[in-house]
Amino acid sequence: MNIPADLKYSKEHEWIKGSVEKDATVTIGITDYAQSSLGDIVYVQLPKVGEKVSEGKVCGEVESTKSVSEIYSPVSGTVTEINSELEKKPEALNQDPYGSGWIAKIKLESTPNSLLDANGYQGLIA
Amino acid sequence: MTMKKTPVFEWHSSNSAKIADFGGWQMPIEYPSGVLAEHAAVRNFVGLFDVSHLGKISIKGSGALPFLNTQLTNDLNKLADGFAQYNLICNTDGGAIDDLIAYKNSEADFLLIPNAANCAKVFEVLKHSAVTKSEFSNLEIKNEHETYCVFAVQGPASQKVVESLGPIPKLEFTQFTKFKSSQYGQFGELIICRTGYTGEFGYEILVGWNQGLSLWQFLVEQIKNQGGLVCGLGARDTLRTEMGYPLHGHELSEQISPLSAGLKWAVSLKKSEFLGSNALLRESEQGSYKKLVGLKILDRGIARNQMPVFDEKSNLIGQVTSGTFSPTLKTAIALALIDAKAAIDLEKVMIEVRGKMVGAQIVKLPFVPAKVRSGSN
Repeated sequence: MNIPADLKYSKEHEWIKGSVEKDATVTIGITDYAQSSLGDIVYVQLPKVGEKVSEGKVCGEVESTKSVSEIYSPVSGTVTEINSELEKKPEALNQDPYGSGWIAKIKLESTPNSLLDANGYQGLIA
Repeated sequence: MTMKKTPVFEWHSSNSAKIADFGGWQMPIEYPSGVLAEHAAVRNFVGLFDVSHLGKISIKGSGALPFLNTQLTNDLNKLADGFAQYNLICNTDGGAIDDLIAYKNSEADFLLIPNAANCAKVFEVLKHSAVTKSEFSNLEIKNEHETYCVFAVQGPASQKVVESLGPIPKLEFTQFTKFKSSQYGQFGELIICRTGYTGEFGYEILVGWNQGLSLWQFLVEQIKNQGGLVCGLGARDTLRTEMGYPLHGHELSEQISPLSAGLKWAVSLKKSEFLGSNALLRESEQGSYKKLVGLKILDRGIARNQMPVFDEKSNLIGQVTSGTFSPTLKTAIALALIDAKAAIDLEKVMIEVRGKMVGAQIVKLPFVPAKVRSGSN
């Protein structure tokens, strides 16, 4: 399982890239472990630009041939950008979950309080 | 309850298959290749499936044919020796206890392939029927669930794969042959049948339980030579859903008759009495209450089993029985059982998908044309 050391992680299998200070903008996505458990992803429902999201609350949905799974926002803030390419190419979530499979960029309202580092996340899925 | 495993289980595990319970058996859902690639391999090249969890029941002895004709829905008198036939076994209300394939060796020798989860039930029903009818009490009915492994080789290149075993006679659709390879004697006697559950040209091969793993390993090499993939039961489900083939527990159950599920062609109401025939005759005369329809989802999202279906005036008219993403059509498709009266002239329905109404078009089944007879390359 690929768990990049420079990212932070939520217990619901999302990753966060960037500084998590208040007012900073982070990129979020789902982890390699999440995409692998879901199987081939065929639909993605993204949050909307301008939408307020809250840490631990649902902000979207990914659906595979097998099942549907909610995306929980790992941070609180405002969505500034979404990866709308995913609507046409949901397979990017399987093929490149930490790169072209990114989900959204979020401007932080506060510093999230329950993120894991790569080691902590490794321990969670072990 | 302990989960059962086929002789190929360790192979599935060591090839990183995701494993799930199927009727009490631990079976592979998909390999790292994924459902979409495995599905495409079957449609374009060839796929290999371990379906050894399927049930096997043998019925031997004089009177086997007339006995089975009192138990199963299709007319076994129309079945030639060396051919297989799709059948159902019903309860007295006409509900389907199971659907199964009947292989006829001779009038006195049949092999049935029911679903894994229903094998024990079907076996009990047949045993009970035989002992309560004196003329059939001498029949030898055996539950042979772990006598044979079953491997499905499906797709346009399946003939090349099967012929790698040796000179197999040309088989018509639903015809089978017993074959012992002179080159690969270690596999023992095989039963090779031109049947399947994918809609593609293909074969199902029965091999002795203990010879299963070595035949499997041989077939894995052969399908790789043809650009094929080993497939899990996830792809088997998307393939059969594209064909509109019923799955017991979804489109069929003890509460759903074969007539409602669109299987009239497998129910012979002209032959003499059989299990459920009175109820099925009545249903045939009065018309079914329910009808199985194919749905193409017009919005995003997948309609899944048990989601409610409404007409355009928001009247509840039925529910989804199976739903998936069609890898061939690149859109979500579903099978639904709806009120037969409401179905007349109906073109569109609404499905409630997790609180949201999603539109769907009623379409003719199958969703994808079947190539079972002529799809070999």
